[in-house]
Amino acid sequence: MSVTIDRAIVGEEFDRTTFPPVTAEQIVAYATSTGETDPRWTQPAPHMIAPPTFTLSLRGKHFMPKNMPAHLGRNGFDAGKDIEMGAAIRPGDVLTAVATVHDVYEKTGRSGSMTFIVFRTAVTNQRGESVATIDQKMMFR
Amino acid sequence: MILDLHAHSEASEDSRAPLETYLKWLQRKRDLLPIDGIVLTEHRQWDPHADYRALEDQYGILILRGAEVETDYGHILLYGVTDEMTRRFDFANVRLSAQEVVSEVARMGGVAAPCHPGRPTIGLCEHYAAGKPPLEGVVAVEALNGGSRRGENERVQALIDAHGYGAFGGSDAHLVSLIGICATELDDNVRSIDALVAALKTGRFRPVDFREQVRAARGAA
Repeated sequence: MSVTIDRAIVGEEFDRTTFPPVTAEQIVAYATSTGETDPRWTQPAPHMIAPPTFTLSLRGKHFMPKNMPAHLGRNGFDAGKDIEMGAAIRPGDVLTAVATVHDVYEKTGRSGSMTFIVFRTAVTNQRGESVATIDQKMMFR
Repeated sequence: MILDLHAHSEASEDSRAPLETYLKWLQRKRDLLPIDGIVLTEHRQWDPHADYRALEDQYGILILRGAEVETDYGHILLYGVTDEMTRRFDFANVRLSAQEVVSEVARMGGVAAPCHPGRPTIGLCEHYAAGKPPLEGVVAVEALNGGSRRGENERVQALIDAHGYGAFGGSDAHLVSLIGICATELDDNVRSIDALVAALKTGRFRPVDFREQVRAARGAA
């Protein structure tokens, strides 16, 4: 039997974080940590563009809503991420990430019942342009 | 004609396959996969407004729609979905009564057919083996499923022999390169979901397996 999660949490905003301005060094550090060797991303420059998955390095203040059942997390795992890219990220950009519970659903598979929660993080820049929408699925049972 | 009766597009949460890319793939692999059409059976949902006629015309491949729902006897494919069915059943409910689904869908003019019966937990064989009473009114089961692991399809023959179910095939594709690898050859010329439902009730169909020739072609490439 999968865990039961009240769908009333869908739509709930549980984190809103504005980060310090992006730096060229930060972009280079992210790129090199992923093994990137392309100088577009490994050589600091004022107008360089961050690699497409750069937003995954952003960490807000809360990973999930505070009112989630206490036992969650003991039998769960990361079930994957979808990222929709938007405007390019450059040094000096001020990014804001807003995290909400996007969906809760159940499914059954070979190994039994599972409950999935989809956390959506919408990342915008200082001009209000969307730079990324990240859907992270977590599976619990 | 040959139809893949079980496929998932990106509308299903666990698939990343765009419908049009399936069609492009089938068009390109026509020599290996002689598929005349596919049935999209998205997980636990039904979109009453989906309309793929333009893609059908563009690619010359029949596109029909069904659904895959979850029940106390495992997963079941629905063909001939109607508004009445969506009002009667919450497709998102993973604990639907299989007997109610089979009986009610038949009463409403459709066909409810258990898929991947040999699969643990979500296949019919395991539920029968556990002692649950056989479902009444099942006309066919998916005897050949492209996503099954070794041994899972093989379990289904005994089920068919014991209960006299019709046998069909489907790829259960969630990825583009898997579309059409298992399918169903129908004696009737099916051009609509109503015609497919009628054909499934006749028993004049059989599963067809293209996996070996696809593997051979990949090996030769």
